[in-house]
Amino acid sequence: MKRVLAIIIAILLFVVFAMAFAKIPFGEQMSKYPHYYNPIENQTSNMSLPQHYLTYGKKDTGATNMVTAVVVDYRGFDTLGEVTVLFLASTGVGSLMYVENKAKKKVKRSNAVVETGSKLLFGFIILFGAYIFIHGHLTPGGGFPGGAIIASSFLLLYLAYPKFHAEHKRLNVSESLAGLTFVIVGLLGLAIAGYFLYNFLPFGLPTYLFSAGVIPVIYVAIGVKVGSELTGIVDAMMGVRE
Amino acid sequence: MSNVILLILQIIGYIFISIGTFFLLLASIGLLRMPDVYNRMQTATKATTLGALSVLVGIGLIDLGWLPKSLIIAAFIVLTAPIGASALARASYKHGVKLWEGSVVDKYKEEKEED
Repeated sequence: MKRVLAIIIAILLFVVFAMAFAKIPFGEQMSKYPHYYNPIENQTSNMSLPQHYLTYGKKDTGATNMVTAVVVDYRGFDTLGEVTVLFLASTGVGSLMYVENKAKKKVKRSNAVVETGSKLLFGFIILFGAYIFIHGHLTPGGGFPGGAIIASSFLLLYLAYPKFHAEHKRLNVSESLAGLTFVIVGLLGLAIAGYFLYNFLPFGLPTYLFSAGVIPVIYVAIGVKVGSELTGIVDAMMGVRE
Repeated sequence: MSNVILLILQIIGYIFISIGTFFLLLASIGLLRMPDVYNRMQTATKATTLGALSVLVGIGLIDLGWLPKSLIIAAFIVLTAPIGASALARASYKHGVKLWEGSVVDKYKEEKEED
């Protein structure tokens, strides 16, 4: 009876959402979105907001990856909030898992194939993660996936070697320095141009590595921060082992 | 002349992709047909590794701009898939998953009993 009721409610919700989603225009009909109000020029623009991003995004930000342009440049506060959420999550896990005298868990050794393989792959995965967050303004990806990939390489070592232990103090230092870089870049923008997170560096040629002003700097900071934060969470959850 | 070479490379690439998809299909059939975990692991790992490798090389040959990237991905798959399979097989043996009743030797168990 309970299950039938749940299924009926789920179907009803699905119908309601489907009816609502049917009204959202797709693709070519982008001009059907309402035109946005531009507070700087104090008038309603002649195109919708997504159209504006696609038309002027490259000129405004210098980034060829439009998602990056929106996430780091147009809506930089959103990313700042996400980074804060991750920082709070890592601090929360650290404080919940903190025990003064942790009992040491016995962990069996994994086999030689896994040990050698993860030792071999560790460097490659770090390299790939760094590639992802350094090229955030050119290719898909960015700071968050790159950081997650770096954390996954550390997770690999944690799983392969029972005694592996990333030093928590160093993780905290790199995490804090990366977060500080983000905020300082934002404050420099405030000092130079009057907007927080203003893109004050030269744009350079589009599609080249040194382009898009402050976006790569911010994404490198986010990548290091996310990587060390997730590694810290893994470390706290693994506990002390022997 | 170079057009002919590109065409030949494309045809070879399509052949590679067909071989790869065929082996991927065989792997999924083997997953259904095999009697126990270890046999299934063996079919799935070998055939999917070869299948994915072949598809990636084929894509690289069809569009030569993709060749470096597809070769890097192929190298990663070749390195990681067997390691993952060995870890899974070992973990399932240690967890007490039984061999198929038709199997004849279990050297690992014998060695453990000797110790």
